[in-house]
Amino acid sequence: MTKRWLFLISLISFLFIITACAYGDEGGQADNTNDNGTEEVDETGDGPSQGGRVSIPIVADPTFNPWHPNAYAESNVINRVLFNGLTKFGKDGLPAPALAASWETTEDGLVWTFNLRDDVNWHDGEQFTAEDVAYTFNEITLNSELGANSSSYFNNVENVEIVDEFTVNFNLSSPVAALPAYLSFNTEIIPEHIFAGEDPWDLTSFNKENPIGTGPFKLKSYTSGQSVVLERNEDYFDGVAYLDEIEYKVLADANTHVAQLLSGELDIFALDDTSAIERIESADDITIVGRETPRFFWLILNQNIEQFQDVRLRQAIMHAIDRQNIIDTILQGYGSIADAGIAPILSEYYTDDVTRYDFDQDRARELLAEIGYEENANGFVEMDGEPLTISFDVGIQGDLETIAQMVQQYLIQVGIDVQLNTMDWNSMIDQVVIERDYEMSLNWWRYPADPDLTAYMHSDNADTGNNIPNYRNEDLDALLEAGGQASTVEERQEIYLEAQALMAEELPYLFLWYPQEVQVRQQSLQGIPELAFGDALYYTNEWYIEQ
Amino acid sequence: MLRYILNRFGQSLVLMLMVTMITFFLINLAPGGPSSVVRMEASQEERQAIIDRLGLDQPVIVRYGEWLVNAVQGDLGTSFNTSEPVIQRIMSRLPYTIELTVFTILVSVSIGIIFGVISAIKRGKAQDHVINFTSVIGLSIPSFWLGLMFILLFSVELRWLPSSGVGPRGADFELMTYLRHLIMPVVILSMTVLPNIVRFTRSSMLEVISQNYIRTVRAKGAKEAVVLYIHALRNALIPVITIIGVLIPRLLSGAVITEAIFGWTGIGSLIIEAANSRDYPLVMGITVIITFVVIVSNLLVDLIYSQIDPRVKNVA
Repeated sequence: MTKRWLFLISLISFLFIITACAYGDEGGQADNTNDNGTEEVDETGDGPSQGGRVSIPIVADPTFNPWHPNAYAESNVINRVLFNGLTKFGKDGLPAPALAASWETTEDGLVWTFNLRDDVNWHDGEQFTAEDVAYTFNEITLNSELGANSSSYFNNVENVEIVDEFTVNFNLSSPVAALPAYLSFNTEIIPEHIFAGEDPWDLTSFNKENPIGTGPFKLKSYTSGQSVVLERNEDYFDGVAYLDEIEYKVLADANTHVAQLLSGELDIFALDDTSAIERIESADDITIVGRETPRFFWLILNQNIEQFQDVRLRQAIMHAIDRQNIIDTILQGYGSIADAGIAPILSEYYTDDVTRYDFDQDRARELLAEIGYEENANGFVEMDGEPLTISFDVGIQGDLETIAQMVQQYLIQVGIDVQLNTMDWNSMIDQVVIERDYEMSLNWWRYPADPDLTAYMHSDNADTGNNIPNYRNEDLDALLEAGGQASTVEERQEIYLEAQALMAEELPYLFLWYPQEVQVRQQSLQGIPELAFGDALYYTNEWYIEQ
Repeated sequence: MLRYILNRFGQSLVLMLMVTMITFFLINLAPGGPSSVVRMEASQEERQAIIDRLGLDQPVIVRYGEWLVNAVQGDLGTSFNTSEPVIQRIMSRLPYTIELTVFTILVSVSIGIIFGVISAIKRGKAQDHVINFTSVIGLSIPSFWLGLMFILLFSVELRWLPSSGVGPRGADFELMTYLRHLIMPVVILSMTVLPNIVRFTRSSMLEVISQNYIRTVRAKGAKEAVVLYIHALRNALIPVITIIGVLIPRLLSGAVITEAIFGWTGIGSLIIEAANSRDYPLVMGITVIITFVVIVSNLLVDLIYSQIDPRVKNVA
């Protein structure tokens, strides 16, 4: 009898010890400089051979239709493999050929001609033609009653015209230099021969059960709440895949992702929870790499509120926050300080030659004093007896809450009384993004691989569009319009250098950092291009398992 | 008896109506909206198009009326998230939760009764204290935390058990694989109800042991085992049966957390999906089904109770 109790007690204490080890802070931060960009090339092996299965986590049931309003991130990672767009995210960061072999635009930029491949079959054997492209855009994307995903990228597209069986023209109302980039970003082509005459959102036999794509893998089985299994498409037009299968496991809990990676049940994903990095780094057979993505984190002050319109207030806040410290501690070093919105991955356009805001709380206090704020007895600043109190609304997702707490502390240090309200993601979007009923918020943008940030900063998109800070500046509007329409890279470079200088000076968003994606994968998984996980999915036909 | 059942049935209908009404208004008036509308990058036009399609431009009271009329006819509507019928989505998940619940009840009742009896017999001794102490610990440790620790120990470190999922079904079904998938969720879920069963059995047993008839049985020279397991335990178990009825709602809510941690694709994980994405029809459908299960299980327990204990004939 007593032995049994001894065993139980020792089991419980063992559990406590395991916890302490697993979550213990061993100090020091990740040094990921060696991991950056160095791809392990298998030089000794015999090269790739067919076979194997790769498991990827998704957080919810997918919808097998990239345009469907219910297709979120978990659907994108599957639809990218099942379907093809006209273009895809190139290994050099520029749009690369996919279903379209080549494209060109007219001198006035109003017509884009895409020459389609004539050797592509749908998974059911039907041939892919211009009809499918015309159907996808004319009947789905441009049909305003459907409210299709990503349709706002194509506001300037009037229609898609079939020139011949394998050529289409995109007719525009005004030039869109970013069109090939938009066509690579969750805008895959769906089959006309299945959708014609159907309600595209209610066709559950396709969207939830039996999708037909053109991609390197096709659906083998799908069990709601459990898994999606794709099998190799032996008829793929761009090099038949090595892997036999790709399995997407529905696992809602991020801790489970880490546990299953460590136990070998998952093979590759982008890690959201950076607090798990140390634990993963200590595992032998797992590779962990930082990858650049077109994303930036931001803090915003609602520009519809007069008090926040003074640029010196935004500059003071930039000086008050030690961004490098947040990057080092919370992001474990996976990120670099942002000064404008165009991320370093867009290397042809990115510049760091702009106004920079060092961590300098004295400078922040000076700027506040210049505006007319004086420190009161409580250590907070006030103007005409009114203390500067800002309510700070943040949605709970990933590290946002922890980051917000640090930001709050930095701002309190310079005398700004920040009240932090955290709320669930859905409520935050309703309040901040839709109602614009907020004073300060924190979040991030992920955008297509193009420097055109019109959607996020142009005054036309204030109040209702993605210009969430409601920022209005005619000079920036003019630059964004010029950059969006200019046809050559050289012209655009010049415009966006100027735009970045203006962004950094005026701070439509208070730019925080460009985060790196933390990509984790089993070492045996090879052939992954040096891209963010989401973009590497365009190349699943090149992935292989090392024998 | 018939009159009693009819009476209870009427009460249940009123209860059901109130639960659906409160839930409908709460979920609709809560901040946020269906995920397809409340997406960060969606434009105003995209949002409006979807609001129109989903019929969300109508006032809440009108929508509740429509929902109720359809629900009474057995139509729980279409899920916002998948465009599939709500009843189909629930029925595809319900069997997994029932499996988990049944195994949990089996495990926790059998272990709980044994520990409860030991604790009562050895009252005040070391065994009793250890069982009480462990019960308190079991009750205090959050099951999500313990679940994660189990995964770290048994899946990551020792690699004995799969960390998640319900195991292959259909043609690929294997009993051993299935049981291996069951172990951790059942143990964790049992932890949430086991201490109650132990303590309930213990107090019930103590009460019975001190009864006069037990003394009489002992006096006529029956063996101690016969006294305890034939005469005492049978009577002590009657109240324990009621608690199982009370535990079913708790198991269903405990399943929400357990299912999320272990990727068990039952109703619990569906509830999380429905609430997070504000899938109003799905939330309503699950509410109706769970309310129904709770009402029926309570009713059954009352009926069984009045059958096995002749003293409680006239419960009405």
